[in-house]
Amino acid sequence: MLGKLSWDVIPFDQPLPMIASAVVALAILGVLAWVFLAGHFPYLWREWITSVDHKRIGVMYTLLALLMLLRGFSDAVMMRSQQALAFQAPGYLPPDHFNQVFSAHGTIMIFFGAMPFVIGLMNLVVPLQLGVRDVAFPTLNSVSFWLTATGALLVNISLVIGEFARTGWLPYPPLSETAYSPGVGVDYYLWAVQISGVGTLLTGINFVTTILKMRAPGMSYLRMSMFCWTSLAASLLIVAAFPILTATLAMLTLDRYFGFHFFTNEAGGNMLMFVNLIWAWGHPEVYILVLPAFGIFSEVISTFSSKPLFGYRSMVAATLFICIVSFMVWLHHFFTMGAGADVNAAFGIATSIIAVGTGVKIYNWMFTMYGGRIRFATPMLWSLGFMVTFVIGGMTGVLLAVPPADFLLHNSLFLVAHFHNVIIGGVLFGAFAGYTYWFPKAFGFRLHEGWGKLAFWLTLIGFYVTFVPLYAVGLLGMTRRMQHFDVSAWYPWVLAAGVGMLITTAGVVAQIVQLVVSIRQRAALRDATGDPWDGRSLEWATPSPPPVFNFAALPHVEGEEPYWSIKQRAREQNRLRDEPDYEPIEMPRNSPTGFICAFFATVMGFALIWHIWWMVALGALGALATFVVFAWRDIPEYVIPAAEVARIDRANRSARREALVTYTGPRP
Amino acid sequence: MSNADDRHAQRRDTDGLERYDIDTAPGDEYLGDTEVGSGLRGYVIGLGLATLLTIASFWLLGTNLIWAPGIPVALVVLAIAQMGVHLVFFLHITTGPDNTNNALALAFGVLIVVLVIGGSIWIMANLDHNLMPMNAIMNMNR
Ligand code: HEM
Ligand SMILES: [Cu+2]
Repeated sequence: MLGKLSWDVIPFDQPLPMIASAVVALAILGVLAWVFLAGHFPYLWREWITSVDHKRIGVMYTLLALLMLLRGFSDAVMMRSQQALAFQAPGYLPPDHFNQVFSAHGTIMIFFGAMPFVIGLMNLVVPLQLGVRDVAFPTLNSVSFWLTATGALLVNISLVIGEFARTGWLPYPPLSETAYSPGVGVDYYLWAVQISGVGTLLTGINFVTTILKMRAPGMSYLRMSMFCWTSLAASLLIVAAFPILTATLAMLTLDRYFGFHFFTNEAGGNMLMFVNLIWAWGHPEVYILVLPAFGIFSEVISTFSSKPLFGYRSMVAATLFICIVSFMVWLHHFFTMGAGADVNAAFGIATSIIAVGTGVKIYNWMFTMYGGRIRFATPMLWSLGFMVTFVIGGMTGVLLAVPPADFLLHNSLFLVAHFHNVIIGGVLFGAFAGYTYWFPKAFGFRLHEGWGKLAFWLTLIGFYVTFVPLYAVGLLGMTRRMQHFDVSAWYPWVLAAGVGMLITTAGVVAQIVQLVVSIRQRAALRDATGDPWDGRSLEWATPSPPPVFNFAALPHVEGEEPYWSIKQRAREQNRLRDEPDYEPIEMPRNSPTGFICAFFATVMGFALIWHIWWMVALGALGALATFVVFAWRDIPEYVIPAAEVARIDRANRSARREALVTYTGPRP
Repeated sequence: MSNADDRHAQRRDTDGLERYDIDTAPGDEYLGDTEVGSGLRGYVIGLGLATLLTIASFWLLGTNLIWAPGIPVALVVLAIAQMGVHLVFFLHITTGPDNTNNALALAFGVLIVVLVIGGSIWIMANLDHNLMPMNAIMNMNR
């Protein structure tokens, strides 16, 4: 009746996960109880859960990402402290548990931390920068978000019910085959990643369509902001790469569930094929993460240097170059798998070449700052920290791309330091820069600068104190994923990395305090103008937070940096443009489709993991029925009357007029 | 009708690509002004051709019309024709000027598929490169 499920699967004998999950469960129950008792549920349902507004969905993605980053971070704290305690000693995490921790850490950070963060910022900003009202498929967008949330939920359920994979964040066979991983851990991984992967693929399709087909009048490709360009490139990579992931994991699933032999050693299977295919997705994936971050840095550096982006066209070219070359380097993740010198050399050279595209960007950012009036606000600090840190990470990457060197360094802590160097220093710093930069746009008030700067410095220092020792100890031969070790030469470095972890923890706390303090002082941090940073792209033309329809009348774009030119003209003539003719605006209605689909997907995923076949059928039918009901609905839109549009826009205009009158900076 | 046409007026921008100068609700579909009849005809022809090609590939195996070792080649040819039919009749890839996006997307897709499949074949065929030939291992065991 309940497949493999029984009371034995709940780890009552392991106090650590039980206490942790009990605390989390109580917190969740507490929040839910408060929501219902205080009568907030209708509001949440109406304004957030069923919302198809790209801004709301973006905020929910970001929130999910922040929560999952915290979860992944607590895994990291556990691993670092375990290793600090495990010199010639067993430490406090038994191997079985330690293996689950590092697997969950990688999976959560990449799929449910970094990805939703980046996609959330894309959701919030891309339609605004394009000057349109929403993405091409708003309801699909909500489906994407909720499917991602389903994946995150499944991974976290594995903490209490059953176990998680012990295979690392990429489940290489034969370890991940039934013979060596008979439990449900790998199945949790597979279904969580598959379901959220569908969501990601839909996001990719949605954004490619939006950017190609839905720009404001006059917004030609070469007038789009850099962030839109990098989002387009990342979305193209999603569309091209995620099907590879889905197919590869589907083959592993068939091996596990139906005794197929894709990746087994018998019956013509080949486990090396898994490694090959998973990295054919995996390397593009790292660029899916970092390209949008590059876009954020471009926006931030140009805004806070008060200058147009230097070398815009070369930036576009570099982005597209990276987009294509990222599909030509995947073998650098398995130089040691056995290919001959010619194959290794070809992929090694291709890998080094991809660094050229990134180099172009670094120089462009430096020239953007050169001669500018730079303001060192928090987003700019993250960007500067990124430029220094990422160059180091890129250089160690090029080092790893030399096959003979990689034979020594592969799967050592040097590799671990490399990819944390580029992912933390690139993707996360970018996401934090974007978070502080666009927070006022989303909520109407800025984040506290003092706490933000403190968080930045603690995170930056914490990063270096953690990962420089890991580079060193990697060169001394320490491999990744060790539960304990006996080599005394490694010990000081491991301890140093532990200290770095403490500093980073302080950074995380500062980040949380920043959010709390900012919410409490929101009146003082209010952004009345909608343009707190003297921005240059169209999102700053809207009020903060923007109305559902974003723009009362679609802006007509006449050049690069559309909002900057509007603003300059206003400053020159000392008046705003004439009021547009207000017309009623049609907007898509809210829809619970995404939430209900995801509910059934969760049921189905859980049932598949535990082999509860009737429940699988139930979940699948439910999801299908939801889709059919959605497809047959009659009234997909509602109308916002012209008077309402006028009221909202006039308020925005009077705020702008005020800003114009009090403006004291240089005028053209 | 003409009112709707105005709202969906197609425009061509400096980048030479065109798009709809829309202000409809996001997610609202603009169903071009081609008639249902002609659209349907295209799909029916496509379906017919696709069925024909499918049947042909099964039928070929049963006959000795083609020299046996040549059959895989014939199947590949039929498969490529099948893809062409799908692209033209179902995905509406044409060479018309309003099709730049579709053509670019197709080119990108083909490029990636070639890179990934070609690369995988090359890599997988090369993986035993550093192994000793089988008879050398046999000799060693002796
Ligand atoms: C600047 C260009 C870069 C070069 C030349 C480069 C090179 C490499 C090489 C050769 C490896 C494999 C090392 C080994 O397994 O022995 C590697 C691993 C990795 N790199 Fe990079 N990399 C670059 C940028 C990036 C970026 C931008 C990211 C992410 C945003 C990234 C993320 C990763 C990850 C996640 C791994 C290893 C994952 C694993 O084994 O679990 N790299 N890189
Ligand atoms: Cu790579």
